[in-house]
Amino acid sequence: MKLECQTRIRHDCLQVLHGREKALDVLRQTNLVIIGGTGFVGSWIAEMVATLNDEYQFGIKLSLISRSTDQFAIRLPHFAHRSDVQLIKSDVRQLGQFPMDADWVIHAAANPDVRTHASNPLDTASVIVDGTMSVLRTAERLGRLKKLLYLSSGLVCGSQPASVKGVSESAQGAPTPDASFIYPNAKRFAETLCSAARAQSRIPVLVARPFSFIGPYQSLDTPWAQTTFLSDALRGHPIRLQGDGQVVRSYLYGSDAAYWFLKILTAGQAGDVVNVGSPVGIALQDLAKEVAKNFEPSPDIMFNTAPRSTGKSAQLLPDTTHAQNDYGLSVFTPLEEAIKLTAQWHAMQNN
Amino acid sequence: MRERKIVISDPSLRDGNHAVQHALREDQIAAYCKAADAAGVSIVEVGHGNGLGASSLQLGEAATPDHIALATARANLIKSKLGIHVIPGFATIERDLKPALELGVDVVRVASHCTEADICERHISYSRSMGSEVWGCLMMSHMISPALLLEQARKMESYGAEGVVFMDSSGHYIPDDVRQRVETLVDGLSIAVGFHGHNNLGLAIANSMAAADAGATLLDGCARGFGAGAGNTQLEVLVAVLERIGYSTGIDLYKMLDAADLAEKILMKEVPTISSVSVVSGMAGVFSGFMKPVTRIAKEFNIDPRDVFFELGRRKIIAGQEDIILEVAKELAQQAGRR
Repeated sequence: MKLECQTRIRHDCLQVLHGREKALDVLRQTNLVIIGGTGFVGSWIAEMVATLNDEYQFGIKLSLISRSTDQFAIRLPHFAHRSDVQLIKSDVRQLGQFPMDADWVIHAAANPDVRTHASNPLDTASVIVDGTMSVLRTAERLGRLKKLLYLSSGLVCGSQPASVKGVSESAQGAPTPDASFIYPNAKRFAETLCSAARAQSRIPVLVARPFSFIGPYQSLDTPWAQTTFLSDALRGHPIRLQGDGQVVRSYLYGSDAAYWFLKILTAGQAGDVVNVGSPVGIALQDLAKEVAKNFEPSPDIMFNTAPRSTGKSAQLLPDTTHAQNDYGLSVFTPLEEAIKLTAQWHAMQNN
Repeated sequence: MRERKIVISDPSLRDGNHAVQHALREDQIAAYCKAADAAGVSIVEVGHGNGLGASSLQLGEAATPDHIALATARANLIKSKLGIHVIPGFATIERDLKPALELGVDVVRVASHCTEADICERHISYSRSMGSEVWGCLMMSHMISPALLLEQARKMESYGAEGVVFMDSSGHYIPDDVRQRVETLVDGLSIAVGFHGHNNLGLAIANSMAAADAGATLLDGCARGFGAGAGNTQLEVLVAVLERIGYSTGIDLYKMLDAADLAEKILMKEVPTISSVSVVSGMAGVFSGFMKPVTRIAKEFNIDPRDVFFELGRRKIIAGQEDIILEVAKELAQQAGRR
């Protein structure tokens, strides 16, 4: 990764931490393990921890467990040689080399790529369900464990009813129980496993439900709106909209998300469930325009030849009242800025 | 409901190639493209009957290579988009798809048998990443239930398809079948839904109407029905009927009728009709493209081609399994003690 890109990430982390780092003081001189630590979320939390160590002398010992540590070391080489970071190559379902002195554990292992969910639903479910069982069994043997944060999904409550502004943690909906919804259904069951482990083994586990994110480290190969728009624009193509552009989503920037996860991990009570995302919705047509603004010449925005009108799942936004009121969390990086930072970062990487 | 716009995709120069053993020439492609473009057809699909890269001894060699057919069409389409039909396996990304996109293809329709959407992932993703409009097509869709069709369509959606067309490849549907499937797809997908009909049972227009009424926004049709077997949905009739009942297609009816007249004159050896064998093919749910080989082989073995079709249907034979025709014919002949 280019030095200027590293510098930009560090800057983003510092921006979020400025005046807020004391809220994470309990992490000082402790051991944090992130399982599934080399994806978008894991990479950003690792960057945030590195910033806490380098700039605020937190002395956190970080272990990143993943099947793809080799690619991580190539993608983020500045982590490969840090003495405070340990990369452990392992499948979440067979955690043979787990650091038994862990104080904090974040379980983020899952593949969020919808193409994998569609083509390999059983493997998708196995990583989530068998993986969570494996993490919980391992957690039973951790003598120093203070908290385990499970990263579930904002999709576990199914689609958002038209009558509400955002999906709250207590929403009673559920995904349809068929193969197309294997990911949220598996995540939903994994939440139940966490609850069972808390009840049976007193494991101090709580749940974060991520919604949509944006930022560096998000692969532009993934077929999500924000990534395909950026990918189109970076390739010099028109930005293509799949539907009528009226679908509404919200996006939280990577450094914001990393801080949210660390704050929830350290301040949360076992058994709590917290939405992680931005409550500020944007129609995809407007998102495309925001992306286009960051490129010169500005790409055209194209619609499909035969677009269909917005369906019933037109909006999916988190209700973040709980995160705001009980954790003091909010959106630190406005979406316009988040898009700009992401576009600039990818452009720097490509140049 | 009927004030909606329906987009028309015209595969006359692709599906029609089945009807002439893939013999369409450059001059024919150029002339029909000009006429379709003048009529305002949204998408004109061009290529070998089985799509890009399918020209072969087994499937029939195309008289016009893909790159010439596409370059010719591109040069003669101004307003209309240029589309291709892509079946992964026949078409590879490096050898076929990449050069096709470089020639200016606008719309890529990646197709698989209705239960095999998984094979489309790389072709859909690649086309999408290159900035093309990408549709998924599920062929022989009558062979699975609406719920299973939705499962497969969702895969295509997850790979990045902007719409899914389900194909009545054997002309087997009646309007209720189509309505049920469109409703299921529209309800379960967030992308557009399209329908591609064949006319074995004389219902291609009625089925297309049912699709439109149930929420499909794209319909396929071929000039004079030029296509495999009993032919496709007859495009100029489809446009007229859509106009008659209030849908907008953006197509100039007179110019469309002219294009159909031209197609009959310059593209076809014979205008598709619903022969007795076509009816049986539709009833049996066997791919319309089997008509010519079934007729030929049945004649060779002195058996009734209708029996062959029903047996092929019973065995759930699909395109690509043409060698089974011979096996079936041989068995039927043996049973009849004729050979």
